[in-house]
Amino acid sequence: MSRLSSSQSIWWWLAVLWLALLLAAALLADVLPLPYAADTTDLMASAVAPLTGGHWLGTDSLGRDVLAGLLFGARTAVLVSLPAAALATLVGTALGSAAGFWGNKDLRIPVSYGIATVSVVGFCFVCRGPARAFYPTVSVVAASCYLGAALLARCGYRRQLVVPLDRAVLVLIALLASVPLLILALTLAALYPPSLSGLLAVLVLTYWPGPARLVRAEVLRVRALPYIESARALGLPTERILRRHVVPNIWHTVSTTFPISVATLIGLETTLSFLGVGLPPETASWGRILASARLAPAAWWLILWPALTILLTTLSLRQLSARNSTD
Amino acid sequence: MGRFLLYRLLRTLPATGAIVSLIFLLSRAFILDQPLAGRLADADLSTRAVSAVQRQRAEEQIRHRLGLTGPLFYFSAVQGPATGLGWRWRWNGTANQYHQWLRHLVHADFGVSFRDGQPVVALLRQSLYYTLPLTGGAVLATIGLAWLAAPHLGRQSRRRRFFLGLLYLVDALPLFVVALLLLLLLANPDLLAWFPSYGLGHEDASAPWVSRLQLLASHLALPLLALTLVSLPPLLVQLDAALGHERRADYVLTARAKGLAEIRVTRHHILRNALLPLLTLLAEQLPALVAGSVVVELIFSLPGMGRLLAEAAAARDYPVLLGGVLLIALSRLLAQVLADCLYFLVDPRIRLPA
Repeated sequence: MSRLSSSQSIWWWLAVLWLALLLAAALLADVLPLPYAADTTDLMASAVAPLTGGHWLGTDSLGRDVLAGLLFGARTAVLVSLPAAALATLVGTALGSAAGFWGNKDLRIPVSYGIATVSVVGFCFVCRGPARAFYPTVSVVAASCYLGAALLARCGYRRQLVVPLDRAVLVLIALLASVPLLILALTLAALYPPSLSGLLAVLVLTYWPGPARLVRAEVLRVRALPYIESARALGLPTERILRRHVVPNIWHTVSTTFPISVATLIGLETTLSFLGVGLPPETASWGRILASARLAPAAWWLILWPALTILLTTLSLRQLSARNSTD
Repeated sequence: MGRFLLYRLLRTLPATGAIVSLIFLLSRAFILDQPLAGRLADADLSTRAVSAVQRQRAEEQIRHRLGLTGPLFYFSAVQGPATGLGWRWRWNGTANQYHQWLRHLVHADFGVSFRDGQPVVALLRQSLYYTLPLTGGAVLATIGLAWLAAPHLGRQSRRRRFFLGLLYLVDALPLFVVALLLLLLLANPDLLAWFPSYGLGHEDASAPWVSRLQLLASHLALPLLALTLVSLPPLLVQLDAALGHERRADYVLTARAKGLAEIRVTRHHILRNALLPLLTLLAEQLPALVAGSVVVELIFSLPGMGRLLAEAAAARDYPVLLGGVLLIALSRLLAQVLADCLYFLVDPRIRLPA
């Protein structure tokens, strides 16, 4: 048993080491003393093999250095996948836990306040006028609407509207799930001019249902446990139950899926770059090095190095996730 | 059964319609914002030196021909006077682009390609002719391999661990990397040139059909292998878990005590019970394979639907892209309905909520 755990921890340390190297490459890509900068075309050395003419890992058919491409590609991969995974996990966790916790019946809002909110929003859409008068008018209307609602509640009108939150979130998920992830990302990325922020938005928008589903299932499990019931019986406010009792219990699931999300998003980013969609063509990416291999079919170094990088990165992230799940 | 399927369809169709409508509206809103001239391969606009007025008129003509004129949706919001805030809402009636698009869609008219003016339906039909054999073959190969592997799964053996480890490695790579590695290993004149690396070969109509079939098979072998390799790991891992769970059941002991061969116990007794959770996965695999063909067909230069979609995305040819997305979404719907039918066949105890 001890041998097993020690060999596991060796793999874990190797994974952490590789990911740290990757992060360092992403951070220091500008200042590293590279023999050739990224995106400079060395026309004397087009598609040369590794270790010739100062190109340690070879060049592609336009004479761009593979090593520099890999390092700057690491920066792109980190810049795209980490924020996208973090945001998608955040959105997914928020929506999934809300859907799981309140279900279809438990979230109720007073009808009077609902009507007040709807009418204020509607007023914003309908009203027209000079810019100076807009904000004062809207705030007066809002104040009077909410005052009226409070008065109604005071007079004893306490009807409540049941919000089917769970169903709403599931409909949203079904909407996004009706097209496979790659196709949806490809289509949405093709709608807008290629840019880093656009790609980020597309990835977050298409990827959040995955974490949301997992978190929702986990919250459904936790919510039925006796200690949540006793917390309710004690009269704790809902917000406190969620923050102090539910979220710590699903944190484990979230932290296990996060590395997997990063790995999936790196795969998606490289695939989109390979297809020439999403990122501007001058941005270095592992997918773009692989795409250049199609112009030089005999150049094994154009396939092997990026493929190895992607493989090691994915395996390391999985190792991280596996360690989290056994803790 | 029929009622249940109808109910399922009615519940899932709106989601498909909504996402496709959303993509349509987004793409059209984007087109309305920018001039078309640079992106359309219209010789009149790009080669001849024309005046600005003529250019504008030509652009209007193109927009008219492609149905890009008029309001976008049933209602539209116009920004109010420049100094003020708020919108002016206008009801457009049915004379809007979305309504026209829907009307054509009902008549199976997906519009024409922005690039070459060919009808999208014809393009899709041509490409399905190549994609269906590829994806269908990949599905069959995956299921066949899983069936072959089933007796070795779900128990401790060195071979199982080796193969699962190998699949774990393959699963860590995106599909396009797997395809490129296959290309590097098996279609490389320097290493092993077993397979042709791209295309479908010359269709020689006079050759006997056996050699033509052989040619086609040798060209489709690598794409098929790539798709199968990628779709196999999730299936086998699930199957392994399900079989391992079922092997401990009492009826397996009974079957062994009767003196049945191990292979027969697995295929006739255990596999049936382990199949249920796999059906959902299989239903997910079908659209995923179509999505995978985007990459594979591009790499191996097959004139299929995936390549059509990838090129349409790179060239922003929205009608083709939308048609492809709609087709894939429908295939997903079909796969789900199929999975429901199979559930019913595999386990008749399931009572479907009508």
